[in-house]
Amino acid sequence: MRDIYLRLHDVGMTFEGQIGGQDGLKSWLTRRFFRDPATPQRYRVEALKGINLDINQGERVGLMGLNGAGKSTLLKVLAGIYPPTAGLVERRGHVCPMFEFATGFEMNQSGWDNIRIRGLLLGMPQDEIESKLQEIAEFTELGEFLSYPVRTYSSGMFIRLAFAVSTSINPEILLLDEVMAAGDIRFAEKAKKRMVEFMEQGKILVFSSHNTELLSTFCERTIWLDKGQVVADGPTKEVTAIYRSMAAQ
Amino acid sequence: MQAMPQLLSDSWQSLRVWRVWMFLGVQDIKARFRRSAIGPVWILLNMSLFVVGAGVLYGVLINQPMKVLLPYLVTGFALWGFVVSSLTESGWAFVNAEGYIKQFCYPKQIYLMRTLVSSTIILLITLPAIIPIQLFFRSFSIVGWLLAVPGLFLLMLAVLGHITVCAYLGVRFRDLPHAANGLLQVAFFVTPVMFPAKLLQERHLALIYQVNPFYYLLEVARHPILQGELAAPETYAFAGLYILLVWVFAGLVARSLDSRVVILL
Repeated sequence: MRDIYLRLHDVGMTFEGQIGGQDGLKSWLTRRFFRDPATPQRYRVEALKGINLDINQGERVGLMGLNGAGKSTLLKVLAGIYPPTAGLVERRGHVCPMFEFATGFEMNQSGWDNIRIRGLLLGMPQDEIESKLQEIAEFTELGEFLSYPVRTYSSGMFIRLAFAVSTSINPEILLLDEVMAAGDIRFAEKAKKRMVEFMEQGKILVFSSHNTELLSTFCERTIWLDKGQVVADGPTKEVTAIYRSMAAQ
Repeated sequence: MQAMPQLLSDSWQSLRVWRVWMFLGVQDIKARFRRSAIGPVWILLNMSLFVVGAGVLYGVLINQPMKVLLPYLVTGFALWGFVVSSLTESGWAFVNAEGYIKQFCYPKQIYLMRTLVSSTIILLITLPAIIPIQLFFRSFSIVGWLLAVPGLFLLMLAVLGHITVCAYLGVRFRDLPHAANGLLQVAFFVTPVMFPAKLLQERHLALIYQVNPFYYLLEVARHPILQGELAAPETYAFAGLYILLVWVFAGLVARSLDSRVVILL
């Protein structure tokens, strides 16, 4: 069996752009040809700085940190969605990202077709999708609504659909971004159960959460991020203890 | 630095997951006609109306026999639509896929292929409209259609190049699809689509189509369909040269923007 791993060497991620207005053709031309001193102010955010990580098969890793600490950015770099602006990412294994449940739908197509599209984009083979279709549909409890175009759905219904598809695949590397709270009370119970099963399947699990209890249940190792840098990386118990004492101050 | 190898391996991986972009492309077409009663027949209907209207009027204006002009118009118009969509609509290829690009791991080139699939399907719906017209005028030639295959293949290569350029630039410069639309309207009038190239030649304006790459792109497919023979070798050569230039440009654009697409979205 092949090894599955995630390795980051000195990874940095910097976002640059223009504050206010459109960074379009006009400003590109002025910057390029006129060196216009009056160009609008530009921003530069270092979302991640010098991250070195080594996550091996069988590890369950939690990500902690305040809002804006770089947790989501790090997950997207791990997934290969953001190409890092510095450093190197090595990745072996099929990545299953679960970042957003509210976007990535074809609004005019039915729930059924959206299940198929989502399944494909998550890397499920077509015949596997067809064979799991009924099971996924049952889990969503959307019934006849699945034949309706999804633009008629409420936000809760979107979450049900996306959640059901995402958790039906066999993940190797599972990346989760604060996704435990899904849907209404009834669905949330069910989702939690399924999520637990699902997370246990992943050969590598990285997930971000503010819930220290959740982190200690799932992860032996936790990484604490602050301002795009790793503050602490170690056994969950120790890291959460420091985090708590720091947050209390 | 290492942008090019990354780009190549991403593109290769995209080609391997052809099932994904095929499915997405077909879904796009289905979605477009989902709530219309006659669906894709609208494309045919619109084109027939245009061709009958314009054909009759132009036939009188430029004094061309219907037998020649009608098949010429339909062919040219169908192929032209294919080229236009690759330079305008494809500017939204990444923009429309934002929700996907930001949360799924597939290389984004699959959204270029998806655009190619859906516009090729539209072409495949419109092209057969030529056949009844050719049958009516007894000018149908199965050999000609077969000989058009290499030309159509070249055309698809060019279109994929266009899609790549426009999709990447469309993310950076959102005005681009609108600008392209305007420019192509001008191009439409100087490209032999509505009138035969011969007409320009007779008035010593041959240069207008000779320096127009779109003319060669259309001719490699149109000439065999209409004449039942391969187009002139230099036509293929010019089309090939243009494709090469477009692909080089596409490679440069993709290399400089590939890593920034997801951030610019």
